[in-house]
Amino acid sequence: MSALTEIYVDNVTRHLPEDSRPDIAAEITATIDDMVDARLGEDADTSPDHTAAVEREVLEELGDPVALSREYSNSPQHLIGPNSYPVFVWALRWVLPVVGLLAVLTNVVTTIAVSPGVQIGEIIGKAAGNTVIALLTAFAAITIIIGLGDRGMDGGAADSLRKRKPGTWTVDDLDRGDSHGKQIRAEAGLGLVFIVALATVPLIPTTLLYVGHLNDGETFINPDLGVGWLVGYWAFLALMAVVEIIKFTTASAKPTVALFGGIVDLAMAVFLTIALLTQPVLHPELTNTANADIQQIITVIAIWIITVWDQVSTWRIYRRNRR
Amino acid sequence: MNEDEGKALATHEQELRRGTVVFASLVACRRPQYGYSLLTTLTEAGIATEANTLYPLLRRLEKQGLLTSVWNTEQARPRKYYTLTDSGAEVAAALHSHWLELNSSITQLWKDGTP
Repeated sequence: MSALTEIYVDNVTRHLPEDSRPDIAAEITATIDDMVDARLGEDADTSPDHTAAVEREVLEELGDPVALSREYSNSPQHLIGPNSYPVFVWALRWVLPVVGLLAVLTNVVTTIAVSPGVQIGEIIGKAAGNTVIALLTAFAAITIIIGLGDRGMDGGAADSLRKRKPGTWTVDDLDRGDSHGKQIRAEAGLGLVFIVALATVPLIPTTLLYVGHLNDGETFINPDLGVGWLVGYWAFLALMAVVEIIKFTTASAKPTVALFGGIVDLAMAVFLTIALLTQPVLHPELTNTANADIQQIITVIAIWIITVWDQVSTWRIYRRNRR
Repeated sequence: MNEDEGKALATHEQELRRGTVVFASLVACRRPQYGYSLLTTLTEAGIATEANTLYPLLRRLEKQGLLTSVWNTEQARPRKYYTLTDSGAEVAAALHSHWLELNSSITQLWKDGTP
């Protein structure tokens, strides 16, 4: 075996499982030698230069060793396969906006709470930087988790094929599950989780976000806030929960339910805007006179971003379902 | 035939070949074949095959239990010989009858569509 063939064979086998390398290397080497011999046999010229030229020709015919190695390995050459792709897109569409908004809110509130007198530019800079990191981390986590799942089920294709023997499929095997209904249920379930999380916000102690030293571990909410505001907040959340429960149990998003949900969302946003702009809603010890208003305004902006995004996505789903 | 049609034809021909190479390899391996001998057998039979797809294919067919292999070290150059297994023979026979059915269907379809 010439040095060139040896290098070529090494290039092919270096990415293959170790136990299969010697066998494949021996087979490729024998093949290359056979191909070279066959071509030299047709030729009268047996000079070393001619032999080297023929060998080069044979190796080039076999092509890129990486491609040949890929053919041998026969493993999936994709990260997210066709069966996992819809789940991947769905996860990105739901998780990234939520992570982004939570990251912005958390960063704004904690930056202002930890550094009294902080400038608006610093708040934006910190929030933007940390939000980008949070988004990239979430994206990487989703991609890795679904990519690993995809490896486990070979893109889903092999899994679905393994379920039954060839030729045994009947129409009774059709998946009669309402995929549209399943999606509505999944979205409603996720919505309920968010609502429960939002309901607990007035009760969360500052120690949970490692800023408990600022107000002796009390909540983020002003303890002097009228009980009526809290009851109103929970009442609106209860209405939102009712909408999601209806969607979950009926597995459908009828226009009336969607419209009612939209109205409740808007009413909630108006309620929170009034609450935030008429009194200190956040704990006074977390704010200071210079930045208290900015904190409240940023929170209001975040609330309206969430509300508008929710309205737009609801409208898009409604339009999609009408088609 | 313009350039686009030429490209489309090349793609479809490749798809056709991909399916037939497996069948042709099984048929040829009814007699023991090593890599290069199989390549020349197929080429001489008019089934153009690329070496870089044929050798990995042989290993895959072996993994599927359709071929079995043995190294022959008695000759000056050690060679790995592939032979059809019993299940490989069954698959080859089934593919052969499918092939004949397809051939007659396509011929009939061609006749019916000829003005």
